[in-house]
Amino acid sequence: MGMPDHIDDLLGLALASNDLYIEAAVHSWASADCRQQLEALVFAKRRNALLLAKWEHTPASVLEALSQRVVSTNVDVVDTSVAMRLDKNPNTSAQVLTQLYAGQRKLKPLYADFMQLIAQHAHTPASVLQRIAQESEDDACLKAVSRNQAAGADVLAGLLKRMAGKPLMADLAKNMAENPSTSATLLQEIYVQASVHVLDVYVRAAVIAHASCPQSLIDDAVHDDDVLVMRKLAASKKVSPDALFKLARSVDVAVRCAVASNPLSPKRLVRMLLHDENHLVRRGIAARKDLGKASIRVLQHDEDRWVRQWLARNGATPPSVLEALVLDPDADVRRAVARNTGCTLKLLQLLANDSSAWVRSAVAYQHKTPKSVLAILATDTDIDVLSGVANNPRTPQHILQGLTASTEADVRRGVILNKKASRKTLLPLLEDPYYLHRLLLVGNDKLQALDKWRLHDDPDSQVRFTVFKWMANRVCL
Amino acid sequence: MKILIAVKQVAALDEDFEIRADEKDVDEDFLLYDLNEWDDFSLEEAMKIKEASTSEVEVVVVSIGPDRVDESLRKCLAKGADRAIRVWDDSIEGSDAIAIAKVLAAVAKKEAPDLVFAGVQSSDQAYASTGISTAAFMNWPHAAVVADFQYEVGANKAVVRRELEGGMLQEVEINCPAVLTIQLGINKPRYASLRGIKQAAAKPIEMLSLADVGLSGSDVGAGSSMSRVRRMYIPEKGRAQMIEGTLAEQAAHIIHIINEYKGA
Repeated sequence: MGMPDHIDDLLGLALASNDLYIEAAVHSWASADCRQQLEALVFAKRRNALLLAKWEHTPASVLEALSQRVVSTNVDVVDTSVAMRLDKNPNTSAQVLTQLYAGQRKLKPLYADFMQLIAQHAHTPASVLQRIAQESEDDACLKAVSRNQAAGADVLAGLLKRMAGKPLMADLAKNMAENPSTSATLLQEIYVQASVHVLDVYVRAAVIAHASCPQSLIDDAVHDDDVLVMRKLAASKKVSPDALFKLARSVDVAVRCAVASNPLSPKRLVRMLLHDENHLVRRGIAARKDLGKASIRVLQHDEDRWVRQWLARNGATPPSVLEALVLDPDADVRRAVARNTGCTLKLLQLLANDSSAWVRSAVAYQHKTPKSVLAILATDTDIDVLSGVANNPRTPQHILQGLTASTEADVRRGVILNKKASRKTLLPLLEDPYYLHRLLLVGNDKLQALDKWRLHDDPDSQVRFTVFKWMANRVCL
Repeated sequence: MKILIAVKQVAALDEDFEIRADEKDVDEDFLLYDLNEWDDFSLEEAMKIKEASTSEVEVVVVSIGPDRVDESLRKCLAKGADRAIRVWDDSIEGSDAIAIAKVLAAVAKKEAPDLVFAGVQSSDQAYASTGISTAAFMNWPHAAVVADFQYEVGANKAVVRRELEGGMLQEVEINCPAVLTIQLGINKPRYASLRGIKQAAAKPIEMLSLADVGLSGSDVGAGSSMSRVRRMYIPEKGRAQMIEGTLAEQAAHIIHIINEYKGA
C-alpha cells in the first residue's frame, strides 16, 4: 500500500480497511458524507460502540457521533450501557456532555446514575453543573458538583447557599474546602462555619491549605493550637516568618517537617532545625535549595543516610562536599552524587567503576558523563546501566546501534527515548517486538514519513490507530 | 520429539457488563478475548526445550473453540509454535472442563506427543482441572502447578518443582510421557516478533471435527458434562462504606478503622 498524500486517499484506505481502529482514527478529518459511511461501519456492531465509548483514545468526534445516536434514539430502546460509558470516558468533550445531559434527563430509571457521572466529569461545562447544583435533589450528585474543579466559584457559592441549614451542607463544605475553584470569600464563609462547630478541624485545616485562603485566616490560624491546622499552616506559602519560628517549636514532628521544607523559613530558623532531634526534620532541611556552606558541612556527617542522600542530590552542595560523599558507605548516597547536576567529571569517572550497578546506572544516565566513560559502561552487563547508556544523549550512535539489538526491552526503549538517536539508529526498532516501542516511534521526529508509514498494517490495533491519526494530521495540515 | 500444548482463549470483563438473557454467562458484547496468561508460560517452556535441543522438537498448540480462537492460536504460531490445531463442533458448546479434557485427550492420542503442557488454570473460569483431567483420560502421570522443569529431550524421566502453600516447593521425579500444568513465573514469555506475526498470519490452522479425533456429539456438551452452569449473577454487595470528608479526615478515619481491627 503506497503512502497517501491527500486526505481523500487516506479516507479511501480507511473505508476499505474493515478495521475499527483505522476508521475511528480518520473520522475527525472526514467530510459529512464520509463520516456517515465511517459511522455505519464503526457502529455496525454493538460490541464496537461499547468499545469506543469506553476507550480513552477514542477521538472526540467519534464520541460526539456516538452521543448523538444515544440522544436521538427513542428513550425506550436507548443503549444505556453505551451512554454510561460515554459519561465515564475522560475524553468526552464539554459539548458532548452537554448533549448527554439534555438527552439523559429523559432516562428516568437511571437518571440519578447518569447525572452523577456528568456532575463529576472534569469536562462538564459550568453551565451544566450550575443547573445540576440548582435543580438536583440527589445528595451524591450534589456532592459530585462540590468536588468538581470545573464548577467554578459561582456555581459552588450558589450550591452552598441553596443547601444552607440542611444536613448536606457540612459534606459540601468539606469538599469545597479542598476544591481549587473555591473563592477566597467562600473559604472565609466555610472557615467561620467550621470554627463555630469546634470539632470540625478538618475543614479548618483544608481551608488553611487552600491556595486561595485569605491572608486574614492565615493570620488568625496562628493562634489555633490544633496539630492538623498547624501542619497546614507550617506548609503555607502565606505564613509569616514569626509564625514559622513559633511552629518550629511544636512537639509534633510533622509540623516541624513542614517548617523545614517551607521555602519561606528564614535562614536562622533553618540553622536551628539543622540540629533537630528527628531525622525526618533534618531530611527536609537537607533538600533545601538555600543551604549555606556551614549547614552543608554539618549535614554531610549526619548519621541518617537519607539526610546525606538528600544533601548529595542537592544542587547547592559544593563539589568539595560531593567529593567526600562519593566515599559514603551507602550506595544510595553515592548514586545521589552521580545524579547531582554539579557532579564533576572526575567524580563521574570514579563512580563509573563503583561496585554497585545502581550507582553506575546513575552515571550512565547523567548527561555530563563523557563519551569515553559511556563507551566503557556500554560493556556493562547490568540492565539499569545499559538503559542509562541507551537514554544518554551523549552516547555515540554506533553504541546506540548496538543497543538496539539488546534482548532487554528497557534498553531498547532507552534508545527510542534518546533525543539524539538518529534515523539510522532507530530504523531497526520499527521491527521491535514490543508494540509500545513501535507506537513511540510514530511520534519520533527523526524518522521520515515513509518510515512511519511502514507501520500502517501493524498487527497491533493501537499502532495502526496512531499511524492513521498521524497521517491524517500530516496530509491535512 | 513432540510437545502438545493445550491453550485457551479466555474472556476478560470490563468493569461494567450485562448478563445474558438466559443468565448463564456474560453478554458476549462486553467480553474481550485474549490468550490465557498461563498458556503463554506453557508455550515459552516448550520453546525453551525446542531451542535448547540438538534434535528436532515439534511444538504443537491445540485449542477447543469457535473461529475467534484462531487469533490466539496465531499468537502462539508467531511466538514459534510449529503447528496449531483447533477443534470445534457446535455440540461442544456447554461442555465443562472435563468434557473439554476428553477432546484434548483424543487430540493427544492422535498426535502422540512426548509431553503435554497446559496452564494451571484459565483466568476466566479457574476450574484448574482441564490439564489433570486430560492426564486422567490418557492414563498418563501428571504434575500440577509446575514452577520449574528439568528435562532432557528423549529422557524417560523429568524433574519438576511444584509450588505449594506458604512458598514451599516440592521436587518430584515424574515418568514421561506426562501431562504438566505450568504455573505463572516459571519463565519470561517472549513477545512475538513482527516477522513472526506476519508469517503466522499465512500459516494454516488445522481444523478438526469431533469425528476426526474419534468422538461424537454425544461425548461432549452440557449433557455429557459432570457439571453444568445453572446461572451467573452479581452477588449483593457486602458491607462497604464510602469514607467521606477532607483528605486528612479520610486518612484519620482509615487509621481509626485499622486500629479498631487490630484492637489497638
